[in-house]
Amino acid sequence: MARLGPFWMILLGLAPLVALAVLPAFGQRMVTLVGVYALMGLGYQLVFGQLGGLNLAQGALFGLGAYAAALAAPSLGPAALLVSVLAAAVPAALVAAPLLRLQSHYFALATLALASLVNLAAVHAEPWTGGANGLAGFASALPRGPLLLAIVWFCLIAGVMTYARVFAGPAGEAARLLREAPLVAATLGIDGGLWRLVAFVAGGALAGLAGGFSAAVSGVVSPEATGFPIMVVCLTSVVLGGTRHPMGAVIGATLAVCLPELMRGLQGAWLLAYAVATLAVVLWAPAGLAGLVDRVLDRPVPAPAPVGLPETVPTLAGPQVLALDGVTKRFGGVEAVAGVSFEVARGEIVGLIGPNGSGKTTLLNVVCGLERADAGRIALDGRRIDALPAHRVARAGIARSFQAPMAPGDTKESDIARAVATGAPFVLLDEPAAGAGERERARLEAFVRRLRDAGRGVVVVDHDIELLSRLCDRLVCLDRGAVIASGTPDRVRADPRVRASFLGSPVEAS
Amino acid sequence: MAYALIALGFVLALNAAGAVNFAHGDLVVLGGALAAFAGAWTGLPSFLLLPLVALGIGLAGILAARIAILPLAARPPEATFVATIALAAIIEQGLTVAMGGAPRSVPPLAGSGTLDLAGLAIGRQPLAIVVLGAGLVAAVWYLLERTQTGRRLRAVAADRAMARAVGIPVTRMVILSLGLAGALAGIAGVVLGHQFLVSPTQGAGHMLKAYIAVALGGWGSVPGALLGALGIGLFETFVAASFGDAWASAALYVAVLAVLALRPQGLFGEPVGRRA
Repeated sequence: MARLGPFWMILLGLAPLVALAVLPAFGQRMVTLVGVYALMGLGYQLVFGQLGGLNLAQGALFGLGAYAAALAAPSLGPAALLVSVLAAAVPAALVAAPLLRLQSHYFALATLALASLVNLAAVHAEPWTGGANGLAGFASALPRGPLLLAIVWFCLIAGVMTYARVFAGPAGEAARLLREAPLVAATLGIDGGLWRLVAFVAGGALAGLAGGFSAAVSGVVSPEATGFPIMVVCLTSVVLGGTRHPMGAVIGATLAVCLPELMRGLQGAWLLAYAVATLAVVLWAPAGLAGLVDRVLDRPVPAPAPVGLPETVPTLAGPQVLALDGVTKRFGGVEAVAGVSFEVARGEIVGLIGPNGSGKTTLLNVVCGLERADAGRIALDGRRIDALPAHRVARAGIARSFQAPMAPGDTKESDIARAVATGAPFVLLDEPAAGAGERERARLEAFVRRLRDAGRGVVVVDHDIELLSRLCDRLVCLDRGAVIASGTPDRVRADPRVRASFLGSPVEAS
Repeated sequence: MAYALIALGFVLALNAAGAVNFAHGDLVVLGGALAAFAGAWTGLPSFLLLPLVALGIGLAGILAARIAILPLAARPPEATFVATIALAAIIEQGLTVAMGGAPRSVPPLAGSGTLDLAGLAIGRQPLAIVVLGAGLVAAVWYLLERTQTGRRLRAVAADRAMARAVGIPVTRMVILSLGLAGALAGIAGVVLGHQFLVSPTQGAGHMLKAYIAVALGGWGSVPGALLGALGIGLFETFVAASFGDAWASAALYVAVLAVLALRPQGLFGEPVGRRA
């Protein structure tokens, strides 16, 4: 994701200035509304665009903000807008824990059910909400007219700039991995749960603020503010503008506010046109209109060159020994890993061999925390890590690469480079040489040696036993989940059971 | 029973497409509206309109698959979700413009009045709905469990890539599923249209009920969806009878949230495993 270019900056800054200087009151009101919806959409981009979470409660949080402003304005004046933010952010934080554990379709359903509850409450809790008639008569306590426009757009510009800045850096890459390859993200030490919580609450806070502003603009708050149509407009405007582009929400909101005015004679037809446009964008321009404009302006879309293996590897502090003791993992009745014990020290390369299905990859998954061990202990310098979630294992000092590239645009080498770049003292490589040509294989071999010389501890899983024999200090051979031999490559290769398991013939009693 | 038909269609579409079809509720409404218009125009009784509507909305389902589901098969499920939300908005707004906002009524299925059955007075309309619903559910069950086409449909639902690898025409199966789902939705629309009138904004509500039924019954499970739908119907009827409609809906949403919080995998687990 690129920084915001000059074209967008000028557009963003000029819009409120021109509106204040030139437009009549009616036009200013529309520009203010654009700012309001853009703020809500910007919050929505955090959850939906960046993390791919289909949150259908953003409209309800917007409504909560609107009601909070209407209720608090008579006693608090302009400070009611802060109450709006809290009225959305606090409930969002409260429901976040159970909600954010859910998979995508359940998350969508749960947020939809929550939104429906809020809507029901708005309609039926008449003593507080005024029922279907809503609340009115509070707006004189809130900022209005040009002042309101200035405040809304100040918040919006600050929000868009912050958003662009944050996601242009490493945070953007972290969000991409969380979205496209959550397993990789976890093994790199990225805490997906925390990310989702922050995005959901921050997005909710923006929705609440937008809701408060909308109450100030219209002077009336009715259950419509919490309804599904608002949610649909928010979702479609973000999709239309560009789900991740910093200007996506602004472009989408502009269309959502201006189209109904342009097509005033045609009743609901604007929504029809709007929905058709959204569908078209989903099908043919996934980056949204802002992305299209970027292409027209010929701003170079940063195509990240695939990263190769680094030339140098720094030496690091941190734990010295990774120890496995009786590690066991069962899937149903099958023991995929059965009581595996071995140690890896810094500056050592250990090869993990064994026939297909012998539990090598499962063992790596258990060590790096993607799977939970059913029995046994895994420890770094005596500190147990077997109960930690993957991102904490990664931060404790274990990185890994995967058999196949997991995120679009990845290569095997970039996957390995990323794992090493976390600075973890221990690196687990899952079939790094599979599918590699002669030259890549040599490069990889040299690189793994560099890792060892820099004092990293390396575990390599591979089928190329010649490569592993040259490379490794020790080999560990697994068969049906259990260690059947370990020691120097020569000794392990000479072991009759290893030969039998590789050749597939039954073990002779000896 | 109408909920069961909606949920049945929803789960068929879900399994075939691998993603939620948000426009499903609006297909139901479209079915009701089509029946209302056709009924007012031709004066045909409902049971003759039924096959017509089933065919029409079945075609609409196929169109939905062509426009919003098949082109996005390679993208994450969220893309389909958004596309079908847009499609739902298109249908809703299209209907609003066409109907001018006034709710319409669909003629009854089997006349009014009651039948005297073993001493119990049963309304002809509810009876007809139950018989029709049960018949359709049985037919879908037969199709899925006892025919080669049904086996193929289930194969596509279980593992799309594998199904394609063994030579099943996946695209055709997805289209068939969506057509079937549309036909069921259309029939449900006719049935509901008589009971509650048809208005364009009901789609989201129907969709939500089906979504809840499927989530409670186990994602992707056909009998689970039916049980879920019947459960929701009974639950709503009883709570509404003693506390009123608003409380019935509120209790339903709270129940859903509680279930999701306690059992994130649905009441009966997920027969087809992870989907997203």
